[in-house]
Amino acid sequence: MTTLLPALEGAAEDVLAEDALAEALRGCARGDRAGLQLLYDRLAPKMTGVALRMLRRRDLADEVVHDTFLRIWEKADSFDPARGRPTSWAFAILRNTALNALRGEGRMELVGDFEAIEPASEEADAETLVMALSEASALRRCLDRLEPARRRAILLAYMRGLTHGELAGRLGVPLGTAKAWIRRSLLTLRECMT
Amino acid sequence: MSADERDRLASEYVLGLLDMEEMRRCEERLARDAGLALQVELWRARLAELDATAAPVTPDPALWPRIEAALGPVAPATPRRVARPSRLATWWESLSLWRGYGLAASAALVLLAFGTAQLARQAAQAPVLVAVLLSDQNQPAAVVNAFRDGRTELLALSALKAPEGKSLQVWTLWDRERGPVSVGLLEAMRNVELSVEGLPRPAAAQLYEVTLEPAGGSPTGRPTGPILMKGNASPTETGI
Repeated sequence: MTTLLPALEGAAEDVLAEDALAEALRGCARGDRAGLQLLYDRLAPKMTGVALRMLRRRDLADEVVHDTFLRIWEKADSFDPARGRPTSWAFAILRNTALNALRGEGRMELVGDFEAIEPASEEADAETLVMALSEASALRRCLDRLEPARRRAILLAYMRGLTHGELAGRLGVPLGTAKAWIRRSLLTLRECMT
Repeated sequence: MSADERDRLASEYVLGLLDMEEMRRCEERLARDAGLALQVELWRARLAELDATAAPVTPDPALWPRIEAALGPVAPATPRRVARPSRLATWWESLSLWRGYGLAASAALVLLAFGTAQLARQAAQAPVLVAVLLSDQNQPAAVVNAFRDGRTELLALSALKAPEGKSLQVWTLWDRERGPVSVGLLEAMRNVELSVEGLPRPAAAQLYEVTLEPAGGSPTGRPTGPILMKGNASPTETGI
């Protein structure tokens, strides 16, 4: 590791960490609980943070993390390292579980919480999120190319799991406009990041 | 679907913009459209950094023991059984989508249940296992009778019809490793013999369920749509 440049060292550590997670997933597929515990120890704190950001309620966030690890355990044998990193595979399950919770029966209870959020704080949240991305990140560079209002729309959608309709309501624009904004912004992002 | 439409759907799915029905359709499609699956992976990779910006939160110390307990006892034969159901209502369990289609009024159901049970009793020997399939509103919607010789029938207690372009698919699950197996495909609920040839003899607690699938049945061979009704088999006093 000492022969690597500092910037690459981080990347190499990432690769090693991802290898350990892939091994842990193979363990889960064989029924080895230690594999699941390793995944939990490594991923649960960040997952709880992401779930809390989406659901705004600690009890629901914990429930989502709980369900996520049960699904990881059940689906571990379908993980294919050729198709993506273990972290992004696991976070896709987390986000799906959280979206299902947002869209499911618990959703009505959440509406009150959503409305209580000051728009100003969401704006600040979205900007904080951009600032939290690494300076070197391509995503950050590309998000910076978007108009602030459109950048906020993308970030809000991702962070809060808002549907097109909810986003349009939040931004105070017609549904068609919100859809068109999002589409244009995503195309810009895709071109910028390719 | 053009490459552009695929990319659009993938980006909106990964961003989380789709409503429940759109999500369900996208997931159905993902199972059979490798191009779409690839675009989804690419979008996940592009946006993954956003998840990394979330402030880590120390999980509740009670959470891991609860997860571990839900994994069930370690047994080599069934190493990955998940024993405890989730407390969260997931989309395929919540069925709020389905309420509009509606099942018949409960009073009618009771009458129908009584009548059908009488018919069943006259028509054949007593079943060794019976599963009452309940809707999400806990209304009996169908009964599955399994007989000693393995023959299994479904008796409809509701007049539920699949909407245009959809089918009702009947599944049974006795082994989580094997997963649910399709035993029937219907356009509308009716009394029907289930296709159980080649399957092990039904056992107590075996799950039967009916899901809403694309016309002609699930494209993946596994349930993809909402569960309309489900129930576990119980032994009758006749015994297995």
